[in-house]
Amino acid sequence: MLDSLLSLGGLVLLRDSVEWEGRSLLKALVKKSALCGEQVHILGCEVSEEEFREGFDSDINNRLVYHDFFRDPLNWSKTEEALPGGPLGALRAICKRTDPGPVTIALDSLSWLLLHLPCTTLCQALHAVSHQDSCPGDSSPVGKVSVLGLLHEELHGPGPVGALSSLAQTEVTLGGTKGQASAHILCRRPRQRPTDQTQWFSILPDFSLDLQEGPSVESQPCSDPHIPPVDPTTHLTFNLHLSKKEREARDSLILPFQFSSEK
Amino acid sequence: MAAVATCGSGAGSTGSAVATASKSNVTSFQRRGPRASGTNDSGPRLVSIAGTRPSVRNGQLLVSTGLPALDQLLGGGLAIGTVLLIEEDKYNIYSPLLFKCFLAEGIVSGHTLLVASAKEDPANILQELPAPLLDDNSKKEFDEDVYNHKTPESNIKMKIAWRYQLLPKMEIGPVSSRFGHYYDASKRIPQELIEASNWHGFFLPEKISSTLKVEPCSLTPGYIKLLQFIQNIIYEEGFDGSNPQKKQRNVLRIGIQNLGSPLWGDDICCAENGSNSHSLTKFLYVLRGLLRTSLSACIITMPTHLIQNKAIIARVTNLSDIVIGLESFIGSERETNPLYKDYHGLIHIRQIPRLNNLICDESDVKDLAFKLKRKLFTIEVDFIS
Repeated sequence: MLDSLLSLGGLVLLRDSVEWEGRSLLKALVKKSALCGEQVHILGCEVSEEEFREGFDSDINNRLVYHDFFRDPLNWSKTEEALPGGPLGALRAICKRTDPGPVTIALDSLSWLLLHLPCTTLCQALHAVSHQDSCPGDSSPVGKVSVLGLLHEELHGPGPVGALSSLAQTEVTLGGTKGQASAHILCRRPRQRPTDQTQWFSILPDFSLDLQEGPSVESQPCSDPHIPPVDPTTHLTFNLHLSKKEREARDSLILPFQFSSEK
Repeated sequence: MAAVATCGSGAGSTGSAVATASKSNVTSFQRRGPRASGTNDSGPRLVSIAGTRPSVRNGQLLVSTGLPALDQLLGGGLAIGTVLLIEEDKYNIYSPLLFKCFLAEGIVSGHTLLVASAKEDPANILQELPAPLLDDNSKKEFDEDVYNHKTPESNIKMKIAWRYQLLPKMEIGPVSSRFGHYYDASKRIPQELIEASNWHGFFLPEKISSTLKVEPCSLTPGYIKLLQFIQNIIYEEGFDGSNPQKKQRNVLRIGIQNLGSPLWGDDICCAENGSNSHSLTKFLYVLRGLLRTSLSACIITMPTHLIQNKAIIARVTNLSDIVIGLESFIGSERETNPLYKDYHGLIHIRQIPRLNNLICDESDVKDLAFKLKRKLFTIEVDFIS
């Protein structure tokens, strides 16, 4: 399912952490959508353009449209090629494009945007971008838009992360055990139950995605959810069981309302 | 003075009264019979609004929430002038259904709708409303689902419903005068019902430009616009009695979706101590003032699981009249718990108002669970726990 993440459209949130980084997965998904022939826009804020393009071969590099906000984020050099409005302005400009066809926008990273912009503005902009294809009757039919956002979840409190994940159509949380990375994918379709799935994967050096089976089952020692049932009749201050003598005494007892020969 | 002079020689006060009565042919006993609509006195005219009924307990005018089971738990329905707040479940699957049932009930009863959302276009929301069940046959089988007791009373209910089968089938025209309808969640409302209804939509991205400066301690611009919109509609269509209405008096049903989420421009879900953390509470206060002075009822869904500051949730609960929390079992450990296997989640009734009363109409049952069957959303008493 990891390879069909972009087919659903909308906002795909990649949550990574220090141990399990997500930029390689982001680049793998970017490469996949570039190979499918979609238009790919990158908003690079956290790493330089050379570092992002490293590892891609030249035909993919030619397909990527890179908007650089790393070198000069506040536009102090005032060159003509600077994009007006900052990263959000670039996002809106991508939305207003006129040519149809599916578009993938990769945000590297959403954490950078959260630290520089108010969370509400960012949420509104992401919602406007990712739901653009559902507005009817508005000039030309535009293709589906997928927004891939990389979020370093350790940098933020539960508030912004919760707000962004409630907006996201798909949420991929990276984790893993013992050298093997896993992606926990939570897919929210509107008006349906969310589905989740864990997929083990690894990224090859040329940034293609290699899906794998999970690690072997017996090497998971402490994931046993079954606790042995505790016997509640131990350690009681009163006695629940009868000894043999007591049982015989009980059986030979004459009940008061029974008429017998002695009475 | 003139009256006294003309009958000053009369026998007494009763005599003078009779004299004046015979003079002007008007008695002091006036029959309050059915009058033509458009008169301005209270009394039996209140009952003439379709889709409403007075409460049997305190005489408040009630509208149906769209789910008869929920109406029963709330003491008959939602009182006019009050706010029903629904705390959304975590993945926002079941709260839109309650929202849509409320709006669909408004369309079927002929009320005016006002739908406000920052997420979806109100026209799209109206397209997805559930279809009302019009057939009495299907009403019978859903009666026995809703009352899930294993007592002989359910047999009696079946018998009563069987008698209704002999009556001619109720054809529901554009407006139905029944209180509370059942809705089929798997079908869409027929298009002609939507077109015959009067509705107003408020979609935030269309109404607001993104570069407004907000001064601190005031309402978020989105909320200001929404309040102005609601106030305009109430004033122009005469729900507060300001414009004398030529046609029949009607009820305005307001539905606000996802209030408090970041898409409305409010940051209570993002930060614990935001810059305008009083924005939502001020909005609710002003909204309640607007509602109390007009013939309207409001439903609000709010993602309270995202709100970081728990004090805000407490204030919001105090500022609303009825608060219902939905807790779905998806993703929690209760999903696999065999005790809950028939249900999809729990309903918590957190607050019921005391309107013109000293006590509120609390139901005795506290453990309520809901399930969404193939067609119907039912609320049942959870007998297990």
